[in-house]
Amino acid sequence: MLLEASGLTKSFGGVTAIADLDFGVPEGLVYAVIGPNGAGKTTLFNIISGIYRPDEGRLNFSGQDLIGRATHQIARLGMSRTFQNLQIFFNMSVLENVMVGCHARARTGLAGALLRLPRMRREEEEIRKWAGEALDFCGLGGLKGRQASELPYGALKRLEIARALAARPRLLLMDEPAAGLNDTETLEMRGLIGRIRDRGITILLVEHNMGLVMQVSDRILVLDYGSRLAEGTPAEVRSNPQVVAAYLGGEVHYAVE
Amino acid sequence: MKRLRGWWLLAALLAALPLIFPGNYYLIVVGASAGLFAILAVGLNLLMGYAGQISLGHAAFFGLGAYASAILTSRHGWNPWLALGAGLVVTGLIAYLIARPVLRLKGHYLAMATLGFGIIVHILLVQTGSLTGGPDGIGEIPPLSLFGWAIDTDGRWYAVIAATLLLVVLLALNLMDSRTGRALRALHGSEVAAGLMGIDTAAAKTSIFVLAALTAGLAGSLFAHQQAFVSPDSFNFFVSIELVTMVVLGGMASTYGAILGAVILTFLPELLVVFEDYEVLIFGAILMLIMIFLPQGIVGGLKDLWQSGHRRRGRPGKGDQDAA
Amino acid sequence: MWDQILQFVLTGITLGSTYALVALGFAIIYNASDVVNLAQGEFVMLGAMSAISLSAGQGLPLPVAILLAVLITLILGLMLQRFAIAPARGITVVGTIIITIGASIFLRGLALLIWGKDIHALPHFSGESPIRLGGVTLLPQNLWVMGGAAVLVLAVHLFFNRTLLGKAILACSCNRTAAQLVGINVGRMLLVAYGLSALLGAMAGVLVAPITYTSYDAGIMLGLKGFAAAILGGMGNPMGAVAGGLLLGLLESLAAGLISSGYKDAIAFVILLLVLFLRPSGLFGRASAERV
Repeated sequence: MLLEASGLTKSFGGVTAIADLDFGVPEGLVYAVIGPNGAGKTTLFNIISGIYRPDEGRLNFSGQDLIGRATHQIARLGMSRTFQNLQIFFNMSVLENVMVGCHARARTGLAGALLRLPRMRREEEEIRKWAGEALDFCGLGGLKGRQASELPYGALKRLEIARALAARPRLLLMDEPAAGLNDTETLEMRGLIGRIRDRGITILLVEHNMGLVMQVSDRILVLDYGSRLAEGTPAEVRSNPQVVAAYLGGEVHYAVE
Repeated sequence: MKRLRGWWLLAALLAALPLIFPGNYYLIVVGASAGLFAILAVGLNLLMGYAGQISLGHAAFFGLGAYASAILTSRHGWNPWLALGAGLVVTGLIAYLIARPVLRLKGHYLAMATLGFGIIVHILLVQTGSLTGGPDGIGEIPPLSLFGWAIDTDGRWYAVIAATLLLVVLLALNLMDSRTGRALRALHGSEVAAGLMGIDTAAAKTSIFVLAALTAGLAGSLFAHQQAFVSPDSFNFFVSIELVTMVVLGGMASTYGAILGAVILTFLPELLVVFEDYEVLIFGAILMLIMIFLPQGIVGGLKDLWQSGHRRRGRPGKGDQDAA
Repeated sequence: MWDQILQFVLTGITLGSTYALVALGFAIIYNASDVVNLAQGEFVMLGAMSAISLSAGQGLPLPVAILLAVLITLILGLMLQRFAIAPARGITVVGTIIITIGASIFLRGLALLIWGKDIHALPHFSGESPIRLGGVTLLPQNLWVMGGAAVLVLAVHLFFNRTLLGKAILACSCNRTAAQLVGINVGRMLLVAYGLSALLGAMAGVLVAPITYTSYDAGIMLGLKGFAAAILGGMGNPMGAVAGGLLLGLLESLAAGLISSGYKDAIAFVILLLVLFLRPSGLFGRASAERV
């Protein structure tokens, strides 16, 4: 297991967002987390990436305890993330956005920056190269020089992924990568996710588009009211009566926002 | 070297101006003053324009550097260069101490915390008479000298300030085009995402804050020796606001914009001398008008015009026809 | 010794009443529009200066002069909202701060132009014969300040909690979109909020002008300290801001009297920094969590 959680609990005021959650993400798979709105998916992501601290429970990434670590420390352990509402650096160019993604792979500090030592210049060239590779991988190679603010939505989604990949993470958290994409773009996204997985990167995916989830995931975790409703392969989850009830017929469950 | 094109242009300009207008009072004296404020503005721009923070108390660091030099040289006979170094240490230290708690804040709270800090420093400068000479300040500050040459004429000060400005600009340009610089700009773009790229955002904010403070301290020491006199009036709340205005007017996230802003705001009172009574009114009006109509500043506004002009000339596929 | 302290307390409450009104003005605008109006102090100054000008300069009877002065300031407050803040929609926090600073400088420049740099004073409302209560001395004007502030604060409280207009403004501060959806004209509500703040500032200026002389630059420190008071009490809570104002006045007066008067201005800012570092939501404000 690359990522393991046990007993995770998180409440905001009186609302319990995550309740005593256990799960494990095996390395090398596409692992999806689904559930109705308010089921706690983004909260879970925020806990894993260190933005929130859980009230209880343990979280383990490749043998390292994550609880209490700052976001930037968690990132340096080999975890990257994309966001539901884009967190692109609009004040920078496309290439620069992805170059920031390489931050943890490089070393030059303030002194090197100010004095522009030869070692720094060599590293800059390397960073530029890594960033270019990530952009090419995501199909954005032709847009390097553009300002990020010029790009349309679909390209921005891919830019965020390129940026996250530039860090060469072991685990990539993707928060609704297909949100707002049309059918063609969603198909391309599915291909991209598959290619990322083929590179050996483990993907933890939150997504509402069931078609995409069923086609691209290796295992699925279903959340409801912040706790685990079901877990298994897409086929297993699809035929689980409780899951069907939670999503379709039966009573309609809405978590209190 | 395309990257430093602007820098060479600036250097050429600064060198050429006194040759084109020899003995011109405005150029040498007011220009030197503008140069000093340009140094301050470039530093503040790193903090506000690139890293996206706010400081309404920057004049405090200007004052700390100035007073350190003043006190150590005129009261204790220190070598001016050593005093300048000591001033940098003091300024840097105080900036470092205050940075952590202050930079945890955001928006209004950050602005007001820096404002409060600036005012407290100013009050201290006025009140601690035995150390600072109180409201009357400190005079008879000995001149700076370089290789045995005393820098005591307007012309020599122009040269020293121009050289310092070029150095500071070079360092700023180097910084922004580097891993560290990108990290700072990322901080401005999205603090959350920056953290997730492995950037220690708190440390980054602190270091740019200290850097900006050091630049101000340097300018302060030069100021003290240039004027041969310091008083708290030069480092009050208004000066902090003036500095912010220079950065905003020129255009945030533009080093050259900051210089432009400094030049305009230093020369403006000279032009407005005729309207002396209206000076305050006009300054307030300018502030409001820029922020309402030209919030990107002059350079930012020009950049926007340039980019929209490019787009109209029909550049291929605005990004929507990229290959899968 | 106790008499001395009590005297400082009295001065402190008088001072604090002024701060309370300024802080209340800050809180009202902040709650309605998320703007920190750094020109708030200038409303105080303009109210006082106009009243002085109208009564001493134009010879109008004091109550009329005061009424007109408050009206003029109120109109300036409306104009500030309409012509400086509203046009700059969607601007960053730094932007609004700079605009209001610009406005404050502009108003100060206006005052400088009209009234020059001299110091002025308003006549005391009901005479200057000191009142002695035990060991402390009061001027009738002190009572005017404290009483006037109390009445105004109560009126504002009733306004927000009992009148439809007041509640509409509160709705805007809670959720602007929702307010618009139920038919509230947000633009007009903002004007009311600014007008109200200007009114409070002007009244504060008029009430305290007989005791503390006023001049064209009296507004800056008052505005900044009023802001510190609002932060101390909790910006999100108007009544908290009032409490913050009183507390600040008290602390400042006691510190000035017992420690040193030279540093009295620093008290407000030291408190400001302490609050911002340790408890940014203030004494009575609610801590808000940030949503990612």
